Order: sequence, then C-alpha cells, then structure tokens
Amino acid sequence: MTRLLFRYRRPLILSTALFLAFVLLTLQARSGSSPALFAKQILLTSISPFMRIATKSVDITATVWHEYIDLRRVRRDNQFLRDEVRQLRAELGDLRETALEHARLSRILQLDRRAGTQTVVARVIGKDTTNWFRSIVIDMGANRGIQRHMAVVTSEGLVGRVVDVTAATSRVQLITDPESGVGVLIQRSRIIGIAAGSQGGAIQIKYLPLMADVAVGDRIITSGMGGIFPKGIPVGTVARTSRPTNGTLFQSIEAEPHADFSRLEEVIVLKQPPSSGLSWSGGEPPLR
Amino acid sequence: MMFLLALFSVCLLQAIVIPRLAVGGIQPDLFLILLVGLSLSVEPELAAAAGFLIGLYQDSLSGAPLGLNAFALSLIGFLVSRLSQQVKTTEFTGRFTLLCLAGLLSGLITLLLLRFFYAPRPFASALLWTALPGALYTAILGTGILGMRKLKISRSTVG
Repeated sequence: MTRLLFRYRRPLILSTALFLAFVLLTLQARSGSSPALFAKQILLTSISPFMRIATKSVDITATVWHEYIDLRRVRRDNQFLRDEVRQLRAELGDLRETALEHARLSRILQLDRRAGTQTVVARVIGKDTTNWFRSIVIDMGANRGIQRHMAVVTSEGLVGRVVDVTAATSRVQLITDPESGVGVLIQRSRIIGIAAGSQGGAIQIKYLPLMADVAVGDRIITSGMGGIFPKGIPVGTVARTSRPTNGTLFQSIEAEPHADFSRLEEVIVLKQPPSSGLSWSGGEPPLR
Repeated sequence: MMFLLALFSVCLLQAIVIPRLAVGGIQPDLFLILLVGLSLSVEPELAAAAGFLIGLYQDSLSGAPLGLNAFALSLIGFLVSRLSQQVKTTEFTGRFTLLCLAGLLSGLITLLLLRFFYAPRPFASALLWTALPGALYTAILGTGILGMRKLKISRSTVG
C-alpha cells in the first residue's frame, strides 16, 4: 500500500491539491460558507500585524528617499546654502504633510458630523494582490465594531463595502471591482441604475433604458436600495454615454468615480446606515 | 523554513510595495515568480503542494474566493516542475517564456474558474488587457529576479 502511494505520489498530491481548492471554491460559491471564510480570516490575521509594520516602514523609507532626492538637488544648485535649505525643506515637507493631513482629517470630521451615524476612520494598509479583483485592507476590524457589508466612504465619495473582517483588519471591496454592484441614481434626472465595476477599473452604469435622460457630466449618487449603502453618497460622474443600435434595451454608460482609488490613505466605515438619506452638503465633487 | 520566510516576504511586498509599481492598473505577480523559481528546483509533487499554499495566501490577501489561486498555482507548480525536468530552462529566453506562459495559464485558469463559479467576465478582453500584460510584466520582473538568484548561487559556488 505504502509502495503504491509512493509510486503514484505525484498525481495523488496534485489531484488532492486541486480537489481541495475546488471544494473551497464550491463551498463559497454555494453559500458563502463559514469554514472557508474562517480559513481566509486565519490566513489574513496571520499576516496583518506584519502588514501594518511593513506599511509604516515603507512610508518612512519613501519619505527618507524623497528627502534625499531633494537634498541632492539643493546641493547641486547651491553648495553654500545646503544646510539651511535642507532644514527649510524638511520643515516645509513636514508642514505640507501636516497641512494635507489636517485638511484630510477636517474633511473626515465634517463627514462624520454630516453622516449622522457612527463611523470609524481607518488607514489603508494593503491593496489587492491580483489583477482580477479590486480591494483594499484597512487597519480596523471586529474589535472596533466593523462588520461585513458596512459601507466605506471617503470625503470624495463612495469607496466600497466591507467583505471580510478579522479582529484587527478588514477587507473592503472597491466599487470598481468587477464583482461589485451598487444601486445608484442619476442625481439630475432621478433615474435608477446599477453601478458595476469592470475588469478595466471603470464603473459601468447598467440597466438605464435607451430613452433615459442621461448626459455626460451628470452626477451619480447611491440610491439607498439594497440596504447596504445609504442614499445620497456621491459615486462619480457620467464620463461616456452611448445608445447601442444592436437591439439592446439599455444604454451603455461609463462613469468616473469621485474617489481616487490609487491614492487612498484613510477611509471611513459607516457603522450603520443612517435612518434617512445622507446630506452631502456642498453639492460639487471635492477637488483632489 | 526558507520557503515560509520567502512566502511571508512576498505577501508583504505584493500587498504593500508592488501596487506602487502598477502600470495602467496592472501589477506583476510575485507569488507566481516565487512558485516558478521554486518549481525549477524541486520535484513536481512538492511544487504542487507549494503552489497550493502560495495560492491560499494570495487568495487571503485579495478579493478572490479562497481556492481560486490555490487551484491555479497547484497546477502551474506541477507543470513547471515537470517541464523543467524535460526542457532547458536555465537560459534567459527560456525563463522569460516559462514565466510568460505561467502567467497566461494562471489568467486562463482564473477566468475559467470565475466563469464556472461566479459571474462570467468578458473572456477575450480580460485575456488581452489583463492576463497578457500581467504575464509580460511578471515575466520581465521574474526573469530579472531569477537571474539575480542564479548569479548569486553561482558566485557562492565559485567562492
């Protein structure tokens, strides 16, 4: 028996690995199985403390590197004033960073008051490791009351929803993820559709009838349908519209998100949908 | 032990540093490079098992369902190891081609599994605009990394 197992070890190990992976996929596809989610949480938990440390280290290294580049430039330009310029630049860099952080946190505080619900501010500590999905890892989890399906926003607009939660971290599915779908409405004409992510990272607005009144530049906000995202959160603006002539019943619409997903640093998790629609006063999308 | 350390480092690099190197939203796949590098020097059954573990970690760090990359990387590890026993893969072009094919195969398996278990994605455009650039980027970076590793090994052998 042992000899037989040893002889066929290669196909045996390969088929076991493939079978296990297939079973995991099947369990999740059928019911979002808790054993699979639990296994995923264990793996994520085992690495998340190191991710926090590594993110901090990378940030510090990047800052030091940029300081170094600045220093080299100054030295070339003016040898005599090198020390003074270095000091001033360092101070300026610190002040700029402080000012930017202040502006970001002020916007977050304003949003906190506007949202009318409990919120948690979280730092982005990791991004998706594949090209097939769009998600981020944040440094707040169940120990701060975060649960699956909570909405995540920035002061610019909607970011996504929480899909995995561990004790100290959570994974957020971005609205540009191909598996994401958000109920939205065109703010001007109040027409309802679904904002879905796509492989290329753009947002497609689906199920808008051919004759629906939609124009480039129209603002898109969450419709509040589906129960996950509160009504009124800015999602993006219409970037392209077209009416296919091949017998399709719906318009083909592409939108540009307000939030810049490549530069996310802090996000806000809405701990519960507000009872009434959010009031995002200010009207216009904020400048980046 | 070395493998676990490498896997851990790759997890951190892929989640924190590699997204900063993304070109047009496409990032190289360090997990695949680690697997191919390992598969070139171990038996196919070990490569398959390593692929499974690497894939599980990649799944846990991405929005992918658990098992998606584990499935793809088990198969790729096994195939690359088998192939390396029969084809010369020490040359620059050989490794580049191998990494490219591994990247494309990974994309193909991912798309097929997504089609089977979840909502299908546009197959041709996903292959052309996501899998192919991803495979090329991974192959370019991977050839460099594996080349440096080879150089280091040959230097230490000479020393």
